Amino acid sequence: MLVPDFVPAITASFYIPAIYVGIIVAFIGLMGIAIEKRDIQILILTDIVGLAMLIVVAATGTDLAEALILPGLVVELAEILAISEILISREMRKIEAKNGNDITTSVFPLPLTLDMEVLTTAPNFIVLIMLGFGAFLTGFTGGAVAGGGILLYVISRKSRGLPIAVIDGISGISGMAWCLWIIGFLLFFLTPELWLLSLFMAACGLVLKVTSKIGLIGTMMREEYKRE
Amino acid sequence: MDIASLGGDLLGTIPLGDIVLYLTPFHLFMFVVVLIFTGLIAISRSETQVEASFKTLKDNKVSVGLEEFKIRRFLAIVCGLATAGAMITGDLFNFTLFVTLIGIINVGIVSAVKQIDVLDAAYNYGIIAMIASLPLFGGASIILASTGTLSLFEIAKIATTAPMMTFGAILLLIGIAGETGTAPFFASKAEMFRTPGSPFILIIHLSSLMVIIRAIEILLIIVKVI
Repeated sequence: MLVPDFVPAITASFYIPAIYVGIIVAFIGLMGIAIEKRDIQILILTDIVGLAMLIVVAATGTDLAEALILPGLVVELAEILAISEILISREMRKIEAKNGNDITTSVFPLPLTLDMEVLTTAPNFIVLIMLGFGAFLTGFTGGAVAGGGILLYVISRKSRGLPIAVIDGISGISGMAWCLWIIGFLLFFLTPELWLLSLFMAACGLVLKVTSKIGLIGTMMREEYKRE
Repeated sequence: MDIASLGGDLLGTIPLGDIVLYLTPFHLFMFVVVLIFTGLIAISRSETQVEASFKTLKDNKVSVGLEEFKIRRFLAIVCGLATAGAMITGDLFNFTLFVTLIGIINVGIVSAVKQIDVLDAAYNYGIIAMIASLPLFGGASIILASTGTLSLFEIAKIATTAPMMTFGAILLLIGIAGETGTAPFFASKAEMFRTPGSPFILIIHLSSLMVIIRAIEILLIIVKVI
């Protein structure tokens, strides 16, 4: 009675097998965690359990469940980032405790040099195409493409030893664009007549947000490069 | 149980399309209490731990630097706001998201400390929190699949409890216990409290206590045992 009539019976019958698949995947992941002793391996194996969570949520298969997958994925990513940060800082503290407090340790133990031909021959052209295509796409995908362009630009400049103009407020732009996105979403609910305006607000806010987020990775990479 | 006998008389609903938020005196009280605690933590100063040294008469003071203090205060305020959101939300999935937010921030609050033991405990707690997101989100989605809605106001109107709803509620309980680090998983979290910077560490305790109280109400709404 909960499933509408136009849904084929075979689609509805996939629900229980999907739940079983999720539980089996989670069980495999948990077995791995129980057997494994190294911390970094446990962290990677925990991602399998997160994958099982996505399977169980996706098994519901409605549009509401689809809207739940994205926060689930984001939460999973945020947790894995937070725990890996904890691991890194613990390893740094261990090295510091061994060497004495005056020696500062780097997160990157090895100097990172990229010697690829594509970084010296035609990065500007590729970056322009990626930025233009990203602005044309708008939304999440466009932001990812444009942000990838910025990232490539930063890496190519740095690998040629050229200075990079640094924008310090880049995370501020990301936050403000995010507010634009939220306001666009609110307008959708409050005044459905203005759907075109709210759609464009949400899409442009999202493209700015994702672009500046990935561009931010570029700025952080620059700091790592300095350690050479 | 129905909403009135759990949280007092219904003060009103906020219909936002599919999501119907509702207010009861119970929610409002918890919301205000958490906000007051968050305000107290926001204006308080960090403590300085004094450790007795072995074989000498000197004391070892462990204080918190300004940079670390600012980050920790910010995270503590965010944790308080997330707890307040979990108190007042009428949507099951929003509740689970608030709970996971609390879990992430709890790891974040202690992530900047220098003690290796505390970082070890935070790592273990983080692993438990990550694993617990499977029963948490899985339970919420199973309840969505068996009732067709995530609004607690709508779920409370359903007269009978299907077996899948009970299964989802049990998963939800396991998930909340893991995410907030209560009873069976407390060992992973207890060591985290040895961090200096007391008022901000307290929000870790407070959030899990409040979330457990709200979670019991939600579970009683979903499973109609009485």
